[in-house]
Amino acid sequence: MEANVKYYSMNPLQKIGYKIYKFFRNFPSHFISWLKRVGLWFEKVWFNIGDSLRIYFKALVDGDWATKLSFLFLGVGSFKRKQYLKGILYLLIEGIFIYFLITFMIPNFAKLDLQDLVKAENVYNPDTGKNEWNNYDNTFLILLYSIMSIILIIAFIVFYFKSIKSTYNIELVDRNGGHINTFKEDANLYLNKKFHVTLLVLPILGVLVFTVIPLIFMVCIAFTNYDGDHLPPTYLFSWVGWDNFANLFGGQIVSNFSYAFQKSIWWTFVWAFFATFTNYIGGILLALLINNKRTRVKKLWRTLFVITIAVPQFVTLMLIRYFLNNNGIMNTILNQIGLISWLKSIGAITTSYLPFLSDPNWIKVMVIIINMWVGFPYLMLIATGILMNIPNDLYESAKIDGAGKFKMFSKITMPYMLFVTGPYLISQFTSNFNNFNVIYLLTSGYSTTDIKLGSVSCSEADLLVTWLFKLTTEDYDYKMASVIGIMIFVVSATFTLIAFGIINNKNKEERFQ
Amino acid sequence: MSRHTKLVIGDVIRHLFLIVLVFVWLFPIAWLIFSSFDVGPGLTYTQLWPTTWTLDNYYKMLFTSNSVINFPRWFLNTLIVAVCTCLISTIFILGVSYAMSKTRFASRRLLMNLSMILGLFPGFLSMICIYFILKTLNISGSLIALIMVYSGSSGMGYLIAKGFFDTIPNSLVEAAKVDGASQAHIFFKIVIPLSKPIIVYTIITSFLGPWCDFVFAKVILTAGYVDGYTVAIGLYQMLDKMLLNTYFTQFCAGSVVVAIPISILFIITQKFYVEGITGGSVKG
Repeated sequence: MEANVKYYSMNPLQKIGYKIYKFFRNFPSHFISWLKRVGLWFEKVWFNIGDSLRIYFKALVDGDWATKLSFLFLGVGSFKRKQYLKGILYLLIEGIFIYFLITFMIPNFAKLDLQDLVKAENVYNPDTGKNEWNNYDNTFLILLYSIMSIILIIAFIVFYFKSIKSTYNIELVDRNGGHINTFKEDANLYLNKKFHVTLLVLPILGVLVFTVIPLIFMVCIAFTNYDGDHLPPTYLFSWVGWDNFANLFGGQIVSNFSYAFQKSIWWTFVWAFFATFTNYIGGILLALLINNKRTRVKKLWRTLFVITIAVPQFVTLMLIRYFLNNNGIMNTILNQIGLISWLKSIGAITTSYLPFLSDPNWIKVMVIIINMWVGFPYLMLIATGILMNIPNDLYESAKIDGAGKFKMFSKITMPYMLFVTGPYLISQFTSNFNNFNVIYLLTSGYSTTDIKLGSVSCSEADLLVTWLFKLTTEDYDYKMASVIGIMIFVVSATFTLIAFGIINNKNKEERFQ
Repeated sequence: MSRHTKLVIGDVIRHLFLIVLVFVWLFPIAWLIFSSFDVGPGLTYTQLWPTTWTLDNYYKMLFTSNSVINFPRWFLNTLIVAVCTCLISTIFILGVSYAMSKTRFASRRLLMNLSMILGLFPGFLSMICIYFILKTLNISGSLIALIMVYSGSSGMGYLIAKGFFDTIPNSLVEAAKVDGASQAHIFFKIVIPLSKPIIVYTIITSFLGPWCDFVFAKVILTAGYVDGYTVAIGLYQMLDKMLLNTYFTQFCAGSVVVAIPISILFIITQKFYVEGITGGSVKG
């Protein structure tokens, strides 16, 4: 916050009000500055690329014969400076790369248009007298290998430039009569100045293999017809352009997919909103109740609620589902106390049970209510930590001014909580957007009566993410699943970028060091 | 009415309200525990309380196996997966957090932003591709595949540990640098000994993951190959409509056995959990 005199002369209550006022007043300017930052970032990237190209050309003009030859054969420069091991490594990497490029990558790229390929067939071979598999293509592997190849090529280009730069730099050191590192000294750098490389190489490799490559692959799948009818190698898939997106958004023909998508995305937003805010407010109220000065055995209450978090969700949620079944215990009890027959007699229901999880409207309300059961203890834990940090003088001065309990809650507790937990609230909203467990476990027994939804494996209570899961595991409809996955990303990325851009906590991490 | 009686009435109402809430919250868990002692094998629709109590379900679950359930084996599988995942993930997470917190290099911010963007994709999306890759490598359905899936991308979950490392004063690191200590020395000899709480937190959370996850395991593990299941998948399939009436009470017993250690570990870590989420913002 600005260091102006007026701000410091305010009382704590006014300070909070002022902060919130500033927050909303700066909304547009923060957004613009965020856009500017994105622009500057691109400028920096291009500048860096230009910069490294400059060194590259300078090395080509200014370098000696060994450096010049290094452009063709990496490592020649290193040999001249007696860095034999380094030179061998450079040459070896270049050799292996070129070998793979010619024998493997280029033939693979040639098939990437996914046309005129041979599908796998088990045919009779008259020479051997047996049924044999022909020499077939697998579109899945072609696409996967192509993505890996592109990543390898990018990695090699970066390596190529870096090695040229380092060769030239060493030449400059040599010319000035400086000390040239031995291989051991170079290796030791990875425990000191370049220690971050040592720490990051394996984790980044893991993310590359298990997140980046699969994600790029799935994004590509959105533009193919990969589904249960096109499972390679016996049935190959091919590129279809934007067809799947057109299928999802409707266009001229309203497909079942676009119908289900509209229903599902609307419900996803409603769910994310209610799930986030009921838990948030409920959790804070619960924390206030437990942390009240006159509440006894606070620790016991807290632990009792925490136990519900600790039992795995697939156990508790499945139990609740069976508990609320049409013929579950809840309905048995309601029958025994006569509530059902009473509701029947006044004509509120026609069935002999309450359809907690079997009616499209009931189920939506029920998952939100049951989600409170899941979420309150979490928020209670978090809120407890924060509530203890609210300066007590805030409440004292409010009391002197004659504020009541409700007023103190709405004017002190809530603003403070919102201020501290802003980023958490945003991430909570997006994670509720993808809240798989609660919805899937509670609604997996529910089957929709809406034929249009049912035909695409969706139901009224399905979020986009559970729909995606069902499409892949039940229908093998990978193409539509990946389109939906992309849509989930687009929505949550837009939301997060805007929300965090506003909060703008860029300098936060430096503040406490 | 005096002020004192008003307060007392308020206390009574507050505590009664809390008791009601605790009753609601613990109800499913109480039902789970009661059912685990029930004599009948299936789900009862009429009452919560078992008429005859027995330890039979625990005995059957822990010491016997058949073609549908093999709890001892599931437990062992999950333990193997959890220990390996925990080892790899902890090393990855601590390494990434330290690099992002205490070292400065050109692409640091870029990497952090990229990991945030990647986190916005639904994690399940990549599973489809990973499943087919594992199938091509002929290791889908194995425990190794599961360990790879759980720990492969674990480096992206570095934020909480980074938040902790951020609170270790930079002057400490600078002082060591002036004394000629290498980065590796600073990491192993100075920062790690100061970070016991966050190491414990990282170890426990990555250990707990495989016990609770059933989404990824359901995709990776082969349906029907009972001996290869983890606890979560094994228990989940016991609630199948076909098996429900034969194994429900055993399911409850198994769940209780799994839930006890998890609960204890969770109660130990809850403090870090709160600190991780509220992070530095509380102090600011």
